[in-house]
Amino acid sequence: MKAIQSKSGKTTARSSRSWRYRIIPYLYVLPLVIISGAFIYYCMGFTIAMSFTDWDGISMDASFIGLKNYTKLLTPGSIFFQALLNNLIFLVVTVVVQAALGLLLAVILKERMPGSNLFKAFFFMPVTMAAVIIAAVFRGVLDPNLGGFNQVLADIGLGGLAHSWFGDPKTALLTICVVNIFQWTGFSMIIYYAGLMSIPQEVYEAAKIDGAGFWKTLFYVTLPMLRGTTNVLIVLGIVGSLKTFDIVMQTTGGGPGRATEFLNTYLYKVGIQQYEGGLSSAIGVLVLIIAILMSLGQMWLSNREK
Amino acid sequence: MKRKLSTTIIMYIVLFIFLILWLIPIAIAFMKSLNINGFGNYLWVITNPDINYGRAVFNSAFISIATAVIVILLTSLAGYAFSKMKFVGSNVLYFMLLACLAVPGAAVMMPEFFTMKTFGLTNTYTGLIIPMVAFNALQMLLLWRNYMDGIPNEIIEAARVDGCSTFRIYWGILMPLSLPMIATTGVLTFVYSWNDYLTPLLMLRDKNLYPITLVATSFMDGRNHTEEMMAEMYAALILMMIPSVIVYLISQKWLQEGMTSGSVKS
Repeated sequence: MKAIQSKSGKTTARSSRSWRYRIIPYLYVLPLVIISGAFIYYCMGFTIAMSFTDWDGISMDASFIGLKNYTKLLTPGSIFFQALLNNLIFLVVTVVVQAALGLLLAVILKERMPGSNLFKAFFFMPVTMAAVIIAAVFRGVLDPNLGGFNQVLADIGLGGLAHSWFGDPKTALLTICVVNIFQWTGFSMIIYYAGLMSIPQEVYEAAKIDGAGFWKTLFYVTLPMLRGTTNVLIVLGIVGSLKTFDIVMQTTGGGPGRATEFLNTYLYKVGIQQYEGGLSSAIGVLVLIIAILMSLGQMWLSNREK
Repeated sequence: MKRKLSTTIIMYIVLFIFLILWLIPIAIAFMKSLNINGFGNYLWVITNPDINYGRAVFNSAFISIATAVIVILLTSLAGYAFSKMKFVGSNVLYFMLLACLAVPGAAVMMPEFFTMKTFGLTNTYTGLIIPMVAFNALQMLLLWRNYMDGIPNEIIEAARVDGCSTFRIYWGILMPLSLPMIATTGVLTFVYSWNDYLTPLLMLRDKNLYPITLVATSFMDGRNHTEEMMAEMYAALILMMIPSVIVYLISQKWLQEGMTSGSVKS
């Protein structure tokens, strides 16, 4: 009897212990799941729900208005399409230029000439700085009256080019691209550098045996092997473009007119400044849809390559 | 691979052209910051109560350090659980969390602001730290899980045989083994939070709580009227860049590793 009791007692102890063991993992992930997961999913659900209403963004009342917000955004010639186009131009220009310049720098730095680590550290530094502060410096330097850049142009005999870089609708968007390129070229450089380092030395040995010189090796061996790296940069460029807000707010605020309106600046203005929370949420939903399609596309691409 | 002398020279020329292009805006800003009053402009910025430089640096530092510490704790715990423990639904949960990486924070700014306002957390540090933790934690979770996957299971088994509790294993064994990961995720979160502009823009009206990014923008407006104002503005911007440069110089290695590790793998 005693033996049975002690045996059963032991079993209970073990099962309660294993019950505790089973709950521990959940306790470990719970704080993150609540603060990060639940918060973000709640925000997404809230955005989707509010996009079908005339919510003002600050009060508790909102009434259902169906797809009105979406039809307003998706009429041809709407500000939304203008902003989408600006995002797209920005995406293409910045990704292409940053990749080209970053690759050029990486190829040179990989030769490990004296001083190359200093150059690498210097070009990467803007990546770690605040976009608004870099944008503020550009906004100051490119100020048409007292900024200094137009003065420099005049000094080197290019005074004819001087004008209001952020104020002219023809150059405003490209100037914003320049600020982004200034900040992010170092990032492309580092990624390509890592990609170059992962190419096995034997490949170069083989090229050498085949009699390929420096330039031939570069164009026929190195560049084709970096295709995966380039794909990564394109994906990150798309994500970055959908996040772009700081530089635009700081330099042009979306103007002149709507010449540099981005999806996020439009969303911010409509929701926070014009108290049209419903419409703003609809923009948010469309941005989310684009973002999700992009990441599904990326997954599809990377699966296909395997 | 043979490299001719001419190629080496061309490479240095290209590097120096880049260097000059990248230095132009910084050089103009620095030279102009010394206009009229010389380094007096810097003194003016530091002592100006409207800018409140010291307070802005403190606000940025406090918010960023708090965010980084919380993110390290949350993501190391969760990374440990996802990597080393078997539990029902772990894969689904992990996938659902990582799916949030695709969400651009700006797209959900309306509910973010509204929720914090409802809980009375606008104009508080907490109201800034919660969204910053939420959006930074996912990338760090990815890094932590990969790192924990690389720690051999035998270490944990041995500790369990010796009678260590799960938490003792985490705190006493895994965390001391994870110092490089603590540094990488800590520095990354710190820098991302320091540079965040949208979250404080949404949450703060009280100028006493403004971090550097908000001071930089609110200070810019209407500053382009006289040479002296421009000089002071440049001095302010350079002073605002200095903390970032210091952090970069100290933590360069971890920043480069952290920012590239996620992207090169995929």
